[in-house]
Amino acid sequence: MAEFDLAIIGAGPAGMAAAVTADKAGLRVALLDEQPRPGGQIYRNVSQASADRVRVLGADYALGRGLTTALAESGVQHIHGAVVWAIEDGFRLSYTANGTAAQVSARRVLIATGALERPLPIPGWTLPGVMTAGAAQILLKGSGIVPRQAVLAGSGPLIYLVAAQMVRAGVPPLALVETQSTRDMIGALRHMPGALRGWRGLAKGLGLIRELRRAGVKRFTGADRLKVEGMDRAEALCFRAGGEDHRIACETVLLHHGVVPNTQVARSIGVSHRWSSAQQTFTPVLDAWGGTDRPGLFIAGDGAGISGAMVAEIAGRLAALKLAEEAGHLGISERDRRAAPLLRARARELAIRPFLDAAYPPYPGALRPDDDTLICRCEEVTAGEIRQTATLGCLGPNQAKSFTRAGMGPCQGRYCGLTVTAILSQTTGQSPDETGYYRIRPPLKPVTLAELAAMAETGATNPEGE
Amino acid sequence: MQAEYAIIGGGVVGLSVAWGLQRRGLRVVVLDGSDGDFRASRGNFGLIWVQGKGMYAPRYAEWTRGSAALWAAFASELGECTGRDLWLRQDGGYEVFFDDAEMARTAAAYEGLKARLGGDYPYEILGGNALRREEPAIGPRAVGAILHGEDGHTSPLLLLRALADDFRRLGGRVLTGRQVIAVDRPDGFRMTCADGETVEAGKIVLAAGLGAATLGPMLGFRAPVRPQRGQILITEKLPKLLRRPTVDLRQVEAGGVQIGATNEEVGFDDHSTQPAMARLAARAVETVPALAKAQIVRSWAALRVMTPDGLPIYQESAAMPGAFLVTCHSGITLAAAHALRLPDWLEAKRGAPDLAAFSEDRFSR
Ligand SMILES: Cc1cc2nc3c(=O)[nH]c(=O)nc-3n(C[C@H](O)[C@H](O)[C@H](O)COP(=O)(O)OP(=O)(O)OC[C@H]3O[C@@H](n4cnc5c(N)ncnc54)[C@H](O)[C@@H]3O)c2cc1C
Ligand SMILES: Cc1cc2nc3c(=O)[nH]c(=O)nc-3n(C[C@H](O)[C@H](O)[C@H](O)COP(=O)(O)OP(=O)(O)OC[C@H]3O[C@@H](n4cnc5c(N)ncnc54)[C@H](O)[C@@H]3O)c2cc1C
Repeated sequence: MAEFDLAIIGAGPAGMAAAVTADKAGLRVALLDEQPRPGGQIYRNVSQASADRVRVLGADYALGRGLTTALAESGVQHIHGAVVWAIEDGFRLSYTANGTAAQVSARRVLIATGALERPLPIPGWTLPGVMTAGAAQILLKGSGIVPRQAVLAGSGPLIYLVAAQMVRAGVPPLALVETQSTRDMIGALRHMPGALRGWRGLAKGLGLIRELRRAGVKRFTGADRLKVEGMDRAEALCFRAGGEDHRIACETVLLHHGVVPNTQVARSIGVSHRWSSAQQTFTPVLDAWGGTDRPGLFIAGDGAGISGAMVAEIAGRLAALKLAEEAGHLGISERDRRAAPLLRARARELAIRPFLDAAYPPYPGALRPDDDTLICRCEEVTAGEIRQTATLGCLGPNQAKSFTRAGMGPCQGRYCGLTVTAILSQTTGQSPDETGYYRIRPPLKPVTLAELAAMAETGATNPEGE
Repeated sequence: MQAEYAIIGGGVVGLSVAWGLQRRGLRVVVLDGSDGDFRASRGNFGLIWVQGKGMYAPRYAEWTRGSAALWAAFASELGECTGRDLWLRQDGGYEVFFDDAEMARTAAAYEGLKARLGGDYPYEILGGNALRREEPAIGPRAVGAILHGEDGHTSPLLLLRALADDFRRLGGRVLTGRQVIAVDRPDGFRMTCADGETVEAGKIVLAAGLGAATLGPMLGFRAPVRPQRGQILITEKLPKLLRRPTVDLRQVEAGGVQIGATNEEVGFDDHSTQPAMARLAARAVETVPALAKAQIVRSWAALRVMTPDGLPIYQESAAMPGAFLVTCHSGITLAAAHALRLPDWLEAKRGAPDLAAFSEDRFSR
């Protein structure tokens, strides 16, 4: 088994920045990522993108080249196409690359697995033709495909970006249906002084909205009662806005209402998490460097709480400085000297977050789905079935899971976990922290029996008991 | 008095007993712990398994067979009352062998048991080809199997849910999130929970799984139970591959093939580990080669509730009469007996089963 001083999971801005920083400090670093190329979500495929693709995706996207170049020039061992499916104490990571399972061991680990889109369970969301805005962007970044006759619905800065990227690609969306209301925006204004300190982020958002207006993209705000209509596939998005019912016929519905930390790896090894009411999600409990309650285990980037790509990069560097110091490669004063400007830059970048969180809350209808709405798509479990388990005395998602199968499918609960916690917590009156979350176990992503079997040290053993 | 019986523990053992009592018109309350507790009832393999049980303890073999024989009626009553099919399949199960000598040794042990049971013990020995005629998916390395006609399987989660549903329908009460921390006897029994709440009942049944080790001594029991970890894997949903379950492979109602289970003495640690997962996978592929390409979508681990000799304990407290300890390793297999026969024993009715062999006095001898 290959051994390293530091293993990093995820080659987005956080993982790449950390890898390069730790490598420079003299650590032997392995960087594992399931994608064929470094970049993570925001800079997906940036090292290969054509000039036209970069024009469509924007200047922020091109920024990623700095990181991918530094990574290519470093001594970091980048294990790409590697899906990490288990992490155990020690630390030992198990992954599959090119159809073969393998392991690396490392004294220290940084989890930089980024964010996932918050699921948006509304009636009809599982019909073919409905996907997340992020998935549409992945197609655009990876292969330049843009969905036609599409409506974008939900909330959050990412939908402006995706809409603008569609406009630049020459395939504008039919409409932008936003669920956040003017009231949310007014409420968010009390965070304005902070947001102004992070004015560049704000200006970017306003610029995008102007770009969409110029392109003539119809925009609705304060939309409610979202529903996808269609028999075998999506045919229209229906909603209520401005006191009227609307129905927009379309071929594709792109849903999005923010991103949430991808906590699967951290949870599977027992890192403590707390509910964040500002972000309406669980986040890991961390110190200022990104250290968890497990010695030697750090988290940086959106997996630590949603803060965007710039903060992810800074947090990656900070974690690497601390890890290098713990590994004896950096003195404390040198660590702190190099951390100081990073800490200042992070505070500046974070200034806009409270505004964004308040201005673009998740769509309330999807946090309290109707009884008939499916919430676990792998096992086809409805919100009503989860509510019923609460009346049977299920206090938390693990009991609800064994009664309904919600969370037992191949996604390991990634797409229903938060919804199940929310529904149980609303029904029992317990807080999300008291309600808890699914117990996450390996394999974090599916792995074949042949891959697993090939790792067995001895041949088959005697039958074991029931 | 709030209830005639309080059952401490809402796992499959506690709920089977609670349902059985409530069904006879007794007033029963169940107290159960938190979402994060160790719960074998949520992580087990789902076999109703007779073969191998009580190889050297004939009374246990009989008790197990008695429960297996009651299972069909038990499942159909629960199914009718709740409208939930428990997915009971009870037309035999195998232990598959890869080594002739080992198979011969096991067969000889069964002959011994059969003699001790007066010749009544239905099992068959299948050679490799006979086995593959029954189960074409089983690979060439298997030399044969022992097929026991009374073995079968069910969905343990559907069972748990049906028990919980029907117990409530019958008027039983389940108090969840109630960890019992103390029991005293001012008049009847009084249980004090971690949240300060108290519950009173005329009699109590301690069916708290591993929790019995702590609560038992307060009630005058030895309760020598220890955890034993079992890890299990499950594949994606597959087309029908196996007609009958083996002791470590079974195709579940939704199509996934469940692969189990390790026996690990690791204390109160219910993590999944990569080496064990690899070992389980290697054995599964050796048994059914077509599984090689199947994806594992989930794994889990749960802690068995083990006594020193692996047999159940059914014991009334000498220090506190009216308090009973009920615990066992094979709570799915024995669910029917616990529901349909233990109430007579608890109520000291005529015709109650003789459970002296399962007294915990056997550990002080
Ligand atoms: C779908 C989507 C699209 C987004 N698009 C944009 C955008 O265009 N612009 C923008 O500003 N922000 C975007 N965001 C937000 C953006 O992701 C973050 O701000 C930023 O990328 C966070 O960086 P990170 O390093 O924390 O994680 P990421 O950039 O998300 O990188 C995490 C990496 O870890 C990998 N990974 C995760 N789990 C495993 C595993 N088990 N094994 C191996 N590898 C694993 C992922 O494949 C990914 O490459 C997007 C978010 C999402 C979810
Ligand atoms: C991997 C594995 C495979 C298995 N396979 C099979 C099989 O194929 N067939 C079979 O028959 N059996 C099998 N078993 C065994 C079977 O699962 C157990 O016998 C059965 O689940 C035990 O149930 P229980 O109710 O005693 O314990 P548990 O399910 O552990 O329940 C105990 C309950 O007591 C509660 N509790 C604990 N302490 C307190 C307290 N102080 N106050 C209140 N409540 C408390 C807990 O919250 C919990 O709900 C298997 C077990 C394992 C682990």
